[in-house]
This record gives sequence, C-alpha cells and structure tokens, in this order.
Amino acid sequence: MLRRLLLLLLLLLGWALYGMAHAAAAPRIELTATPAWAGWSRPGRATEIDIRLGADASARVTLELVAGRQTVRAELDLQPGRVVRLHVPVAAAQTVAVSAALPGAAPVQIEVGIAQSESPVLGVALADAEAARVEGIAGFHTVALAADDLPRNPSAYAGIDALILDAATLGALDERQLGALLAHAAGCGRIAVVNTDERVRRLLDGAAGCGGRALINAVSLASARARLGESLATRLPTAMSPGALSAVAAPDHAVWDRVAVALAVYFAAAVLMLSFTASLPALVLAPALAAVAALMLLHATPPTAQLVVWSEGESGASVARYQALQQFPGLARERVRVPLPPLLASAARPCDAAQAMRLDFDTRLGQPGFAEFESRLFRQTALCYSGSFPMARALATEARADGSREVANVGAEAWPQGLLVAAGRVHDLPALGPAARVMLAPLAGAPPRDAVARTAMARTPPDSAAALWPLDLAGVAALSAGATGWLLLSEAEP
Amino acid sequence: MNDVLARRVSALSGIAIAAALALWWLGSSRLALDDGADASRPAADALHALWLVRAMALALLGLRVGALGGWRAGAAAGLVLVAPAWPVLVLAWSASAAPLAQVVLAELLLLAACGVLPLLGLGLHRLLRQASLAEATATLAGVALAAALWFTRGLWALPAA
Repeated sequence: MLRRLLLLLLLLLGWALYGMAHAAAAPRIELTATPAWAGWSRPGRATEIDIRLGADASARVTLELVAGRQTVRAELDLQPGRVVRLHVPVAAAQTVAVSAALPGAAPVQIEVGIAQSESPVLGVALADAEAARVEGIAGFHTVALAADDLPRNPSAYAGIDALILDAATLGALDERQLGALLAHAAGCGRIAVVNTDERVRRLLDGAAGCGGRALINAVSLASARARLGESLATRLPTAMSPGALSAVAAPDHAVWDRVAVALAVYFAAAVLMLSFTASLPALVLAPALAAVAALMLLHATPPTAQLVVWSEGESGASVARYQALQQFPGLARERVRVPLPPLLASAARPCDAAQAMRLDFDTRLGQPGFAEFESRLFRQTALCYSGSFPMARALATEARADGSREVANVGAEAWPQGLLVAAGRVHDLPALGPAARVMLAPLAGAPPRDAVARTAMARTPPDSAAALWPLDLAGVAALSAGATGWLLLSEAEP
Repeated sequence: MNDVLARRVSALSGIAIAAALALWWLGSSRLALDDGADASRPAADALHALWLVRAMALALLGLRVGALGGWRAGAAAGLVLVAPAWPVLVLAWSASAAPLAQVVLAELLLLAACGVLPLLGLGLHRLLRQASLAEATATLAGVALAAALWFTRGLWALPAA
C-alpha cells in the first residue's frame, strides 16, 4: 500500500515538474498592431494593419486578424530577438481583433479600432506636421499623417478619398509604400504632390491613370489644396462594380443543368420502375440509393471557377486599371479552400462584405495565397480583385460628315482584332499595325449584341469612341480554366 | 382497393409530389441565380413544402388505408409515398442553410407517422366495427389532420439562411 502511494506521489511530482518546465519553456510573444491612415477609414472600405511580432524563443505562431466576417490568417516562424513585420490588408471594420497563438497555448490578443469617417477622408502627409493639421478642404475629414502611416498594399488606399503629400514625405516612403502609391495613382486615385523634383514628377506622371487628371503637382500646400478642391468638380471614371462585372461574365448554369438532368433521369426511372414492380423494398430502396447517388454526384465533380477581368485605359496612357471577379459555383455543403491567382491575389477580397471568408496570408509573398469559405449547392461565392498593368496602345478616331469614321493606330504597338464602340454602335475593328488606319463605313456598325458590348457602350462617353479587345490571360489565369478578359481603350480626353 | 394498387397509387402520388416540388424549386433557384440572389431561400422553402405536402398526403392516406387494409398495407403505402422525395430532399438541403439535424428529425417524424397513422386507422376500424363507417371516419380525421398541418404550417418552417 505504502509503495503504491509513494509511486503515485512520484508520478504526481513528475507531472507537476513537467508542467512547470513546459510552462517555463513557452515563449513570450510580443504583438503590436497599428492601422494605416492613423486609424481612419470609411465604412465598408479596406485598410491595412501593420503587425509587429516577436518572441523570446524560436516558435511557430499562428496570426489571425478578424475584421467583420473576414479573417486573415498567417503562419509565422519567429526567431528570438527578431521582430517580424507584416502589412495585412483587411476590411475596415470598427474593430479588428488581432491574435497570435502558439500551438496548444492561449493566444495573445489585442484589438485595433478603426475610426469610420462619414465624410470623405483627406490624408495630409507633410513633413511640417503643424501645417498638415491646419490645412484641409471643405467637406473633407482631414487626417494628418506621417510617412509610416501610408500603407504598403494598394488596396488599403480605398480607405481615403484624396491625399496630399510633399517631397520630404515621398522621400521617406519605403519601396513597398512607393509601389502602393504608384498603383493608387494608376487606379485614378486623387493625389496632390507638393514641391517634387522633375524626376519624381515624371515617375508619377508616367504611372497616373485617367490621363493624369487625378494627379496634381503643386508648388505649395495652398496651391495643392486649391487645385485638389477644383479637381473634385471633375468626374473621374468610376471603377466597375462587382454587379456590373458579373453581368459581363457569361452566366454559368452548368451546376443547375446537372442537377435538373439528374432529377429528370431519376423521376423517369422511378415511373418506369413503378410500371414493372410494386415491391415495397424496391420502392423504398431505389429512392434511398438515388439520394446517396445525388450526394455522390455533388461531391464527385469539383466546380470550375470563372474569372472575368475588365480593364480600362486611356489612349496613350502607360497603364490600364482592371477590376476582376472570380466566381466559385457551389456544389455541396462543405468548406472550400481555393488557391488565388498569384498575379491578382494582392488585392483579393470577398465581393460581398457579408460573405464570411478566411484568407490565408502567404508571408513569403506578402499577399493572400488561399481563400476558405463555406459553400453550398447553387451558391456563387465571388472574390474581387483590382489593380493596374502596363499598356502601350494609342487610338485616334475621326468622325466624317458622311457618317463614316477613320480609326488610326497612333501607338507603337500593333493591335489584334477587336471592336470599336462609337455613337451607340459597335463596329468590327480589324487588326492594325503601328500608324495604320482603317475607314469604317457609315452603316457598318450594329447595336450591341451581347453583355460585353453593352458594358463597353455603357462605359464609353456618348461623344467619344473606344476600342475593345479580348485580353490574353494565359499568364494570369493559370488557376482558372474559365477565364475571360477585356481591355477597353477610350480616346484621350482633351 | 387491394394492397398492391394502394401501394402503386401511393408511390405515384409520392413521385408526383416530389417532381412538382423539384420543378418549382429548380425554377425558383434558376431565377435566383439569374438575379444574383440567394438560392438558399427557395431551397429552404422547398424543404418546408416537401415536408408539409408529404405530411398532409400521409395524413389523408395513412389513416384511410390503415382502416381499410390494416397496419401493414397502411405503413407500406405511407413509406412509398414518403420515399420518392429523398433525392430532392438531399439536393434541396445541399442548397439550403438548414441544419442537417432538423431535416433528419423532420424525416424521422414522417417515417414515424407512416407507422402510427395506419395503426390509428386500424384502431378506428376495430372500434367502429363497420368498414364503411371506419373508412368515412378515417377520411374525415385525415382531412382534419391535413387541415391542421396546413393552418399551422408556419410552425414547421426551416430557417432560410
């Protein structure tokens, strides 16, 4: 008896010592999270959280950011004395919960508040912080920023409506911040730059979208404010909405067709069987087996994602901006994990803010790599992407009195075959080499025949013309079999 | 009506109910897909309708066949009425947000009713001792039960999303 008690005591002591040693070995995690734009954004927009994570011992940590119904997760290997820094784009929820957890341990949690401005937000990033505080534009909520408050992800620029920055701040930006700023300029973001040198001005001018109408180079802060205020009267082309993008995508009814055919076959077989037998086991077992077959049908055939890219640029501009939509047709009630196209993934977000989704952040690439969401039959889960790409096409058209129209390739790059949208009609546009011209006959055009032509027509100003070409998505859409893309090139505005 | 004929009629009714509701569900889902709307709502409605219509048909059939042909014939007729909708049920559940436990429970209730209603019909037959009176009473009771199910249909609705 005594021996047994001693053995039990020894076991308990060993267990307690192991627990203490284990507790002592658990690394201590240091976690800080700072939102971009000094913590300001607009409701329903995106922002970025700057995460700094360190540990006093080597550890594999799972980082999770929960913003509304969207979760971003990343796996990180921490080394003692080294702080890992991540810039994670998230939805601008009022509170973003950030947690870092070691396997089997309680997570370290902090909450980041994002102030939601009802008024448009004007970010003012000036070396002279006092000037940044006092200057603003009527109707705007002005937020004074330091260089480090500017985000590293272009998608986070959705959090503000206009930005004023000076040469000193521009010089203090790191490479990723500068890249994001240029991408924002390419996406027709309203930016006023004060006192920049010629080299930076040329760089920004080359990157700016919408013919540079949203980019202002000013000699003083007062002039930047005034010109930015004036530019607000100019309407810039709006980005395509997810709804408009899904209208461009050919409706995919493959899953519905499959279910309809399966049910028709089942009912035909059931009636046929009933005409031959009234046996109870047959009449009960057959539907049961058909139900199992229906479940297997749903799980056997993986759905094909459909990707639509719509890009727009102005004649002669060096960049075109794009909006993309990737739809995942649901088949069964299951959690789906899908890879994201690497070239688009940096700005990936659920098109519907109410859609619960988890994005797995690839720390090596600094962008999401996979998306996970609950799927079910007939559910179309969509991811939206946006960005810009380099372009070198230039178009000039001239309407003649007889109703014909001369179209010229005034750029250095040859065009493939496409369509020309002008004066409410769609014309076939032949392939044209540099400096080549073509004359379109007065009655050659036709009203728009499909959703793509109708969208092109809707996106072209009535007094202008635009060329539409299919995009070659071979490199972009390696992961998506059903990928289509379009480039709408409009005439340069005077 | 002999047992085999009753079974054939029940099975055909079950197929007709399931086919009609499948057609309605597929049509509603197609409209929802074309409009970019949530297709889980018509699926939840289809699940509800499948349960309600089969329960009402079972109330009419189970008591009457039980009173006329006995428990075995009534239970068999009930089973072949309920079973043809199972593939539609599985597909509609896959498209809905309804909890699996709730759908399975509803189906178990129907299967239990397949056994209980003919037993009540048989009880009526033994109590009244006259086949014609038992048939009329069972039919009336079935109609009353079906009407009660119809008027309390809101209680049996499944969550849409």
